[in-house]
Amino acid sequence: MIFESCAEIRSYFSDYVDGACDARTVRSIRYHLSGCKPCNEELERYRAVQLDLRGLARQQVSPNLALRLRVQVSQELHRNVAQRIMIRLENVFRPVLLPSVAGFLVALVCFGLFLGMGTPRTNNIPDVPLDLVTPPTIMELAPMNFDMGGRPLVLVTYVNARGEVTSYKVLSGPHSPKLMENLDRMMYFSLFHPATTFGVPTSGRLVLSFRRITVRG
Amino acid sequence: MESVPFMGVALDLTAPAGSDEAALVAELKAGSEEAFAYLLGVYQNPVYNLVYHMIGDQSEAADVLQNIFLKILRGIRQFSAKSSLKTWIYRIAVHEVLNHRRNWGRRLFHEPYSVDDESLHLRAQGGMWGRDKETPYRVYEQAERQAGVNRALASLAQPYRTVVVLREIEDLSYEEIAQVLGIAEGTVKSRLRRGRELLKRKLAAQMSG
Repeated sequence: MIFESCAEIRSYFSDYVDGACDARTVRSIRYHLSGCKPCNEELERYRAVQLDLRGLARQQVSPNLALRLRVQVSQELHRNVAQRIMIRLENVFRPVLLPSVAGFLVALVCFGLFLGMGTPRTNNIPDVPLDLVTPPTIMELAPMNFDMGGRPLVLVTYVNARGEVTSYKVLSGPHSPKLMENLDRMMYFSLFHPATTFGVPTSGRLVLSFRRITVRG
Repeated sequence: MESVPFMGVALDLTAPAGSDEAALVAELKAGSEEAFAYLLGVYQNPVYNLVYHMIGDQSEAADVLQNIFLKILRGIRQFSAKSSLKTWIYRIAVHEVLNHRRNWGRRLFHEPYSVDDESLHLRAQGGMWGRDKETPYRVYEQAERQAGVNRALASLAQPYRTVVVLREIEDLSYEEIAQVLGIAEGTVKSRLRRGRELLKRKLAAQMSG
């Protein structure tokens, strides 16, 4: 490209200072500049303007304006009434959320421990046992008749999973050999419902109290 | 480099590029407040700088800046990634400034530029540039020079001023300026050429006057 006048070359200075001219134009401009002092001075003035513009102080957003922008953005994002209510609720509940959850969990653990420590309920109704643990119960006592001399007799019997008495022990009352022989016979022929744990028959103890045994044969 | 937490990760306050920008746009479209805070951190100063140099008044620039970010917030769902996020934001900013000027019919370049301007005082104290080692005369001369450039820039017709500001102050490429303004690159070049020529003459006139 051959420039015919200084005016023509100067029309390319704007692109030239931006590096936006093609290689051929750049070569032509440089060739012209090598021998033209007025164009060199004009180009320098272009560059000076460019430097002046780029040297202008960059404006910064003041902290106050930055805060206003943040608030405005936040308000705009939460313009929806439902969202705003949710945020208010969140703000109210967030401080108490952790303590309340912790308190609830502690209460739950304590309640569980309390349940575990409690005495299991007994069930004497002749029905399918629904409780976790049931004691042995009398199904049928053997027909025996003996006199204890008016004194009460309290004994504990050990009943196995099949409902049979494996042993017994007199806790209080008369201990005569004849009475013991009659008791042995009665326990041998008596029938019991075994104790259960989770519905499964298991061995257990049963306390019996007699005042006067008169079983009709 | 300053950074802010964003989506659990501390990101630098520079314009995101590529996949980072796509992720940011996705978060913005989802209405993430953290993403908008990050967007503000990245773009509030460049956009304010652009608006200030197009309007020439700090308080008006602040008002316009708030409107710009409101429009960004409301329009982010329509952003289709045909251009970069930066270009899109600048386009909104330029349009908002032009609307603002059209609505108020203000010709700010007629307003007197006072040497008592607050920024001049700051510059004279070296606070703005941090050039404490320079002589007061040199600092004052520099401030005067910048004031002259600001005056000359403010007196340019809006189409030329916008292109000059986008190119020389915001350092956008011809292609980006064309996208921001919605004009051809050839038009960008011719406006830039004319704007520079006018600026050069005005500055020369100031120097001689």
